[in-house]
Amino acid sequence: MNKVIPKHSFVGTRAVKLDAPDKATGRTRYINDLVLPRMLYAKIRRSERVHARILRVDTAKAKALPGVVAVITAADTPEIAIGVLKDNPPLKRDRVRTIRDEIAAVAAESEAICDEALRLIEVEYEDLPTVFDCTEALQPGAPVIHANRPDNIAMAHQFDHGDVAAAEAASDFVVEGAYNVHYVTHCNLGVSCCVADVDVEGRVTLYSQTQYPFIMKMDIAPSLGVHPGDLRVIQPPVGGAFGSKLDVYPYEPICVLLAQKTRRPVKLVFSREEEFVASPTRQPVEFRIRAGMKRDGTLTFRDVDTLLNNGGYTSWGATTPFVTMRTISSHYRVPHVRYRARAIYTNNPYAGSFRGYGNVQATWAVETHMDKMAEVAGLDPIAFRLKNANEPGDVTPQGARLANIDLKGCLRIAAEKSDFLRKWAAYRAGRAAPGRIKRGIGIAASLHNAGGAKIHKSDGCGTILKLDDYARATVITGGSEIGQGLDTVIAQLVADELGLALRDITVVMNDTATGPWDVGVHASRSTYIAGNSARRAARKARAMILDEAAKQANVGVAQLDLRAGFVVQADNGVAIVAIDKLLRQMHFAGEDAKLVMVTDYYEPPSENEDKNHVGDMSAAYSHAAHVAEIAVDTRTGEIKVETIWSVQDVGRIVNRNGIEGQIEGGIAMGLGYALSEELVIERGRVRNPSFRDYHVMTAPEMPKIDMTFLETGDAEGPAGAKGIAELPTIVIAPAVGNALYNATGVRIDHPPLAAEKVARAIWERAQRSTRAAP
Amino acid sequence: MSLEVEIAFTLNGRAVSAAVPATASALTVLRERFDLAGAKLVCGEGECGACTIIVDGLSRNSCLMPAVDLAGRTVRTVEGLWGERGLDPVQQAFVDTGAVQCGYCTAGMVMQIRHALDRNPAAGEAELRRAIEGNVCRCTGYAKVIEAALAAGQRMRGGGAP
Amino acid sequence: MPLAQELKPLEIDAYVDAVSLDAAVRALADGAGTPVAGGTDLWIQKDLGKRAYGRRLVNIRRVAALGGIAEEGGRIRIGALATMTEILESPLLLRAAPVLPATADRFASVQIRNAATVGGNIANASPAADMVLPLLCLDAEVELARWHENRIDRRRLPLAAFFAGPGKTRALPGELITAVSFDRPAAGSFGAFQKSGPRPALEIARVALCIAGRREGRRLTSVRIAAGAVAPTPIRCPRTEAEIEGVALDDAAIARALESLGREIAPIDDVRGSAWYRRHLAAAFLEEELGRVARS
Ligand SMILES: Cc1cc2nc3c(=O)[nH]c(=O)nc-3n(C[C@H](O)[C@H](O)[C@H](O)COP(=O)(O)OP(=O)(O)OC[C@H]3O[C@@H](n4cnc5c(N)ncnc54)[C@H](O)[C@@H]3O)c2cc1C
Repeated sequence: MNKVIPKHSFVGTRAVKLDAPDKATGRTRYINDLVLPRMLYAKIRRSERVHARILRVDTAKAKALPGVVAVITAADTPEIAIGVLKDNPPLKRDRVRTIRDEIAAVAAESEAICDEALRLIEVEYEDLPTVFDCTEALQPGAPVIHANRPDNIAMAHQFDHGDVAAAEAASDFVVEGAYNVHYVTHCNLGVSCCVADVDVEGRVTLYSQTQYPFIMKMDIAPSLGVHPGDLRVIQPPVGGAFGSKLDVYPYEPICVLLAQKTRRPVKLVFSREEEFVASPTRQPVEFRIRAGMKRDGTLTFRDVDTLLNNGGYTSWGATTPFVTMRTISSHYRVPHVRYRARAIYTNNPYAGSFRGYGNVQATWAVETHMDKMAEVAGLDPIAFRLKNANEPGDVTPQGARLANIDLKGCLRIAAEKSDFLRKWAAYRAGRAAPGRIKRGIGIAASLHNAGGAKIHKSDGCGTILKLDDYARATVITGGSEIGQGLDTVIAQLVADELGLALRDITVVMNDTATGPWDVGVHASRSTYIAGNSARRAARKARAMILDEAAKQANVGVAQLDLRAGFVVQADNGVAIVAIDKLLRQMHFAGEDAKLVMVTDYYEPPSENEDKNHVGDMSAAYSHAAHVAEIAVDTRTGEIKVETIWSVQDVGRIVNRNGIEGQIEGGIAMGLGYALSEELVIERGRVRNPSFRDYHVMTAPEMPKIDMTFLETGDAEGPAGAKGIAELPTIVIAPAVGNALYNATGVRIDHPPLAAEKVARAIWERAQRSTRAAP
Repeated sequence: MSLEVEIAFTLNGRAVSAAVPATASALTVLRERFDLAGAKLVCGEGECGACTIIVDGLSRNSCLMPAVDLAGRTVRTVEGLWGERGLDPVQQAFVDTGAVQCGYCTAGMVMQIRHALDRNPAAGEAELRRAIEGNVCRCTGYAKVIEAALAAGQRMRGGGAP
Repeated sequence: MPLAQELKPLEIDAYVDAVSLDAAVRALADGAGTPVAGGTDLWIQKDLGKRAYGRRLVNIRRVAALGGIAEEGGRIRIGALATMTEILESPLLLRAAPVLPATADRFASVQIRNAATVGGNIANASPAADMVLPLLCLDAEVELARWHENRIDRRRLPLAAFFAGPGKTRALPGELITAVSFDRPAAGSFGAFQKSGPRPALEIARVALCIAGRREGRRLTSVRIAAGAVAPTPIRCPRTEAEIEGVALDDAAIARALESLGREIAPIDDVRGSAWYRRHLAAAFLEEELGRVARS
């Protein structure tokens, strides 16, 4: 008589993103839309000089402008710098080092008044000698950017494994290459923005786009003169982040300082131009690679030296070598490795973290170089990579334990699905044939952490979960939602454990006052870490419910299951009792009352690196391989990417819509990096600060994308899932570069493969060959 | 002080009026006078489409449209698409296919696709890609957006879900 | 409530919503007014503070006499307010001068095409104004009107003589573009428009090139060539036209034409592209079009 409920799982389905209906109807209010009562607006007066002494700042006229409530300069603020090396004072006192430097800030009744006030601030400068190039900045006598680093070296990293010299001596071939990767920027549609509100006790509420709310408190508090405990960080919906908000940047302390001074809420929003000029970029890197192999193509060593243009201040860009190093040492079997990285102060803008963090750059260099080596070895690109591919069980020189990886599977499937070898040979043969349009095909692969990255003492995340009398679950997670879909993944994982529907789950997040600690949204870690924590919390709640039901029904817990709002018999699905009814019985039980409320803190089984950079820093690793098939117009240099085959080891699919969206979006971002995006910086100034001249991919430019997911199943990941979001951005660019070579025989070592650059390279080669011809 | 001009127009089916600065954009007025925050200021120069609204049946970048030129016109914003009969087919398709990630471009995308399908409900993939060439999305790579547009077109033609 | 997000407001002290040509030109008569049509150039330039405008904003968008695309007595007249979308979809133009819709198809985005007018494209006088190129090839004339001595004073100028420099035209103060017009191209005419990519449209041309004429076997007659973003204004290339006129096109003839084009254009380096690339592209475009004829 009782109804029978079949087993159902939300994991693996196309779940509707929880906030999609509100976003599709315009109901969602983003941080940029936020208005608080009596709120003021703020704007920053930035330097017009790339390197200068500040002789005088006069704010008197600005202060006198009606509607201006406060104007601050370094003189009004605590002298505490922010950033990775604490070298960046929010307001600059006596010196500017980049064009974006903050000199003064205004709070006023409207943005228009702020703009007017900024124009009234008088600044007198004395120009200082400038330096923009890493190598020049390393010369003796170069202008010194920070007095405490007279050599201009902001940060240096090195890694050594084995004996590179001996390996070189034993190599049959050594291939050298240089790859300079460029400046690009996040282009978040929602420009940088924050709102600060200070209460009578001096406690600060900061509405922020930050991706690391808990650690941010510690990072920002000193510059405000407040205790980190007196700071609450709320992350309203944001228009993209992609790594751009993993540090404290000057505008946030400035906004809080203005709120402290005016005792009113203050909102600071960048203009789009400011967003291009004054938000962090991806780290540009100059690579020098030497790599050896045996005659049969077996890799013997890699020796890599890199210079990172650090710009005027140090944010996370300078630490990208942590990830670059992993690719250099651990992507393919490389028995001997030497890696050097130096981040050099210059008068350029500075870089932060950006989706793919250090690995986008590394994979460009390594995978372009691998293609060159394959040719030297006389092997095709697939065979050469397969020969050197890592296998499950490998422990890499940096101590990464590659457990259930499948690089060979990624390579083989990508090659098969794209008919790679046949096309590759045909297109290479077609180079010499007449015709302006050439076709080409290229492959690249990469390795990335897929189970978090233990760069802090903990890589954990906490969850608080409660069930109410109607069997609706509230999951309070430390994880952050920035559009990537963590909210939905958590709901799916929890719904499966508790036998509830997705709409029965409310995910509460993005507020440090309610959420338990989490590292932040970076390193493709949220599904893995926050998902695991939520799942573990749900399991605890499930156990409480099943315990009670088992007691009442006088059966073993193992004989019961939770499905579609009911406790059922596990073997046949026959419903025993509605979960909400059971919950009410547990709740209203007098002295024995039990409310289902549980907590969890999940710490992944990963290690910090030791001082030699050895350590199993992620709980899982994964690979992806991309094949790009392109058509090149050899006159205009325009590349049309026609098809991408993407094969990625994802562990297990949680939300199919979400994972496809991450791959497709990651490919779009990676194609921009490969083809069209470049922040042009000349003598420290950004020359193209607008979407008019900085071209991101648009819909008609996008190729067809063929996705294959390898569900290898991770023993530790939630429902077997791995982190997936960065790899598609990482892998695509060198696949396109390798395809260009296949099509034309022209190699471009320094991205982007912009039409003009491609046309020029092809033209120059033609000039050379006509000259060479008798 | 900026000169203000009294204008009356039809906004999402209702007659409205407002005094607006003669130099304000339609976007500013919709957002700040009518509290319609769906359309976004993203680039302010017509390159991204996040501010797209439909004016007299034509999609426009509201950031570049003089607010005074709204006078006498019929204006639809993303907020006006969700009606008594539920979500607009385009909105529903965006939700179902996963075309929404951060969502900042969504209002503009939805309006632009609605405009394209109003003109040609049978629009195919290539036509729809061109239709949103002026709408930037940094999250999705456009694949799911196009999928949603095709699904919505099918629904509008009475074909049900594809 | 202050409009907090408005950027730098243009300080004006009068707004005129003109409903007739008479009202529009009167409002502009003293030369202190700025007409606004689609606003797609004006709004950006005012926000960037790139141009100073008159203190009177004159909305010409509702002036019916400035709209429409029609043919009369063998002459095609496109009203100044005709939008790129209207040009793209005009059955008359698709039949009689398809190079205009073809150009509109490479112009901006749908939203911009719905707003952008041909009058604005001409008046803005950008060296990269796309729609100007096919109009130059059609020997179009600009029709102008202003309020002078208590009446509407009209005149026509060849479009080729209208531009004075980047952002500068030979219009008189207070003068409005009312239309562009040209003789209906003879049957058998062809026209082609090429623009730098790789985007299909949403791109300010690094180079654009238009060629029109009549095809007779491997020869072109009545050749017209115009190029954008290669000089301070959009230009015609008369010496290159002469080089091609009536000549049987083969490799040598094409090479001579390309050489001539290289002498007629004077592109600059900027962030969108180098002078070298602009030359290279312009040559590629012309070579492609001539090659098509040579191979036919
Ligand atoms: C995102 C974007 C993409 C673009 N892409 C292209 C492109 O691909 N190709 C291209 O050529 N352009 C492009 N443009 C530029 C612009 O859209 C065109 O120049 C457009 O045709 C201008 O027309 P409008 O009606 O919007 O002009 P408005 O902005 O209204 O006016 C422009 C100027 O002309 C004056 N004016 C307008 N009408 C008249 C008239 N009838 N008589 C006298 N003066 C007048 C105005 O006072 C103003 O100075 C683009 C612009 C944007 C924002």
